[in-house]
Parts: sequence; structure tokens; C-alpha cells
Amino acid sequence: MSQENPEEVKVLEAQIECLQAESLSFIHLHRLYMCGQRQEEGEKVLSKLMEEVEKLEEDLERQTQMNRISLKSCTTKTLQSSGSKLVQQLSVSGHCSEMAFQVEFKLSENKVIHFIRRITDLNVVMDASDLQTFSSFLSEVEESRDLLLFFRTLRTFSDRSDDRCRTFQHFQAKYPSVVSLPGGCRSEFLWFSIISAALQLFPSQAVGGAAESFQSLLRILGPEAALESVIRAVSLSQDTQLASHLLV
Amino acid sequence: MDGADSKGVLNQLSVLEVRARSRNTQPQQQCCVKELRAKAEALKIQRDQLEAEAQIHKVLHKLRMSMEKQCPHEEEEAMDEESENTQLLQLMARHTQLKDLLYAHHVIGGYDVIKTPQSKGVCMSLTTAYEGIYLDTYNLEIDLKHKLTITRHNIPPFIPLKDLAKQSNMQTNIRAFLDTLSLHLNAFTGRKQQLKFVKEQHQSITVMESNVLCSRLVLMFTVPRGKNAVLCRLDYTDHTRCLPTGVQFVCEDEELLDSPEWKKNCSLLKETPVHKALTTMKKNGSIV
Repeated sequence: MSQENPEEVKVLEAQIECLQAESLSFIHLHRLYMCGQRQEEGEKVLSKLMEEVEKLEEDLERQTQMNRISLKSCTTKTLQSSGSKLVQQLSVSGHCSEMAFQVEFKLSENKVIHFIRRITDLNVVMDASDLQTFSSFLSEVEESRDLLLFFRTLRTFSDRSDDRCRTFQHFQAKYPSVVSLPGGCRSEFLWFSIISAALQLFPSQAVGGAAESFQSLLRILGPEAALESVIRAVSLSQDTQLASHLLV
Repeated sequence: MDGADSKGVLNQLSVLEVRARSRNTQPQQQCCVKELRAKAEALKIQRDQLEAEAQIHKVLHKLRMSMEKQCPHEEEEAMDEESENTQLLQLMARHTQLKDLLYAHHVIGGYDVIKTPQSKGVCMSLTTAYEGIYLDTYNLEIDLKHKLTITRHNIPPFIPLKDLAKQSNMQTNIRAFLDTLSLHLNAFTGRKQQLKFVKEQHQSITVMESNVLCSRLVLMFTVPRGKNAVLCRLDYTDHTRCLPTGVQFVCEDEELLDSPEWKKNCSLLKETPVHKALTTMKKNGSIV
């Protein structure tokens, strides 16, 4: 008996530790649930919970708006929880503008040594097959485990992409016969399809270095007017070969 | 003889002691068994409670999974037995989901926005991190009345907060302002972290000079051949980056600096974080 008991205690303690780790965050909710089942307190609990959920919904909306990142799911799995060290596996998915992403990483916290929080094993999944410049950036981010840099860049990138989209749609609406959208309005190459035509246009006018000419146009007129003047020149040009470059 | 006598007395004493002890152990053991039984009983009750909690956890988990898949009709069909409890469970599932999503916003470095109690303004937090390690968090309290004003903050004075607010049109576009500010703060803490790494990892290198913004750094290397000293000056003129824009070496042996090896070191320092560049330079035998 006296030998069995410590054994049993050990087993039970291990079991409890396991269960606690699994349901740590649900303990207070469970209490709520138990209260909620009792008739007299049920409504009170329900309305309180509803209030809390509403407030959280508001918080999330504010956060989504401010961060321009809409999160769809976040799953957390505790890998290690011993005294001062906590290791969690996180998987977060969502989208920024029209770019969907999923990131997975380990987050470890050490509460004893200056409360250090560290990210390891970062893995980023994005459908960036048509965004060549972005895919090389992703591998850099994974290597340096720079999660924050990824989201900062994603935000800026999608903002720029939105700007480009608006600009391109503006020009397409204004000059539908000259400007086309070869790679869709979000393609990162849309500027190039116009500029490359422009670069071919300038040498024929014998102005000198093509790139320099466009650069000086940019400086003098700003991007919108510069592009507009190029498009006009192309559409006025009798050279059908040149005009065709824009329609590739 | 004396020794044997005293030994005999001591022997007897120890025999008595053993006897006295063995008398005590009997009830002690019983007490111990009782205690352990009670403990085991208590733990069993606790276990049952936790198992019940785990059961709810499972139900909530299922609910959340279906919420994330966004097919609300399915879950209603699956759990129509106890409609009241279902509502409660659904609220609970949404509660945990929202908490997790808000936590995720925090972890990915989102601007934590909290309404101040008087709700005249908001409090925003900007997290910084360098290569996976979270660093300082900075806070701003912004008054939203008619004109946006920063009422309180803990951003270091050498970060030109007012200029950044002006440049990025904080009045009309607060997000652009926060983006710019976050860029500056992350670059600053990143440079600071690099300097810390240099001091920790490269004790053979002397940090001769550094400023609070960590935008200028003067290091002294020793070249293995001839034990010449090389002064290296790094200028981070772009305060939104962790890489220097200018690298300058000074050494008595001017021929050394003209060598392709040191030209390569110069570009290495421009393209790689300084603590890593130094490791490479050491490995290549350029410096001690």
C-alpha cells in the first residue's frame, strides 16, 4: 500500500499536468459554462458573455483597420510549459488587401531572463507565384526569422500594389485603345509594359539616352503627367509597330 | 581499556536510539499513507474536473474549427439538441477565437490600439523586433478631438517624432505616420541590437565610438599580419535601415586598404549586418 500510493500520486500528477496544459485557458470559461447551465444565473452569464464578445469584436475591427491586415484564424499549440519557459507553435492565416498568407512559427518566452520572446522556425506560405520579387524576399524573411519585417513589408507592398492598380485602371479608362492590362491590374510588371514602349519611342526621336529622357520627363512632369505624355506620343504616332508594343 | 569502555557506552546509546526511532516510524508510516490517500483522492477529484473541462474544450474546438471554415449552418445542425447551451458554447467559442486573433495581431507586430478610458483618445503600442527577438515596445497616446495631437509618449528624444508626423501627414493619414514611425523605431532597435552583438561576440574588436541613435559606429580591428590597427567607420545615414550607407577604413598601411581583400570587406559591411560581417572577416583571416 505504502509503495503503491506514491506511484499512483506520481501518475496522477503527471496526468493532471497534461490536462492542465491542455485546458488552461478554458478554466474560467468552464466556470462560466457551469454557471450558465443554472437557470437563474444563465441569462446573466449569457448577457455578460455577449457583452464581452461584442467588445472583443470591436477591438478586432479596430485592429484590422489600423493594421490593414485581416486575420482569419490563429491556432496555438503549447509545446512546452515548464516554470519559466513557454514554447508555443502558432499558425496564423489571413490576408492583406488581396494577398493571402499563412505563417507558422514557434514562439518561446522566458520569463526569468528579462522576459525574452523569440521566434524560431518561421515558415511563410503565400501564393506569390506571379510576384517574383516577393518570393525571394520571403526566403530572406524565413532565414532571418523576421516576422515583423514580413508584415511591415507586406503592408507596404500591398499599398503600392493598390496604388499601381488604381493608376493603371485610370490610364486604361482614359486611353482604352493604347493601354492594356497584360498581367492583370495587380501585376508588378504593368509599369514596365508602358515604360519599355516609351524607351523604344525616344531613340527614334533621336533625343539621346532613352532612360535618361524618361527620367527627366519624370522629374519635370511627375509620374502621372510623364506617363500620360508618353501614352499620347504613342497613340499619336503613325508607327503602328510602336503602338503594338503597348498591347502585348 | 578506557577506549573500549566508552565505546561500549556509545554502542548502548546508539542501540537505544535505533529502538526509539523504530518505535516512532510505525505511526509515521501510517500517517504518511493516510496523507497520500487523501492527496490521491483530492487529485482524482481535480482530474475529473479537468477531464470535464477538457471535454468542453473539445466541443469548443470543434465549434471554432467550423467557425474558421465559415460554414455556420453545419454547426447549427450538428448541435440542435440544447439550443441555449449551444448559444452559450458558440459565444464561448467566438470569445476564445477573438482573443486568439487579437493576440495574433499583437504577435505579428500590429499597432495595439486601445481606447483610453475617457475615450477622447487612443493609446497605441509599436513593437520592435530584430531577427526574431522581440525588443522594446513604444507607446503613444493620441488625442483624437478635433486635431490629432500626441499627448504622451515614451519614444526616445533622438527620434524626430514631430518631423515624422509632419512628413507623413499624420492629420490625414495616421496609418502612414505609424508605418514610418515603426520603420524608424525598428531600424533603431535593430542597430542597437547589432551593436550589442558586436560587443558580446567580438571581444577582440574595440568599439571606439557610437552614438545614441546608433547611426555612427567606429570600430578598431587588428590585422593579423604586422599587427596593424584598422579604424572602421560605419555611417547609417538612412535611419530607416539597419545597414550602413558609408564604410570607411583608416590604416597606416594604405596598400592594405587598396587590396581586393579589403575592398571586399567594405562591400561586405555594406550588405551584411555588422556582427555577421565581422564573423566572416575573422573567418577569412582579415582581422583578429
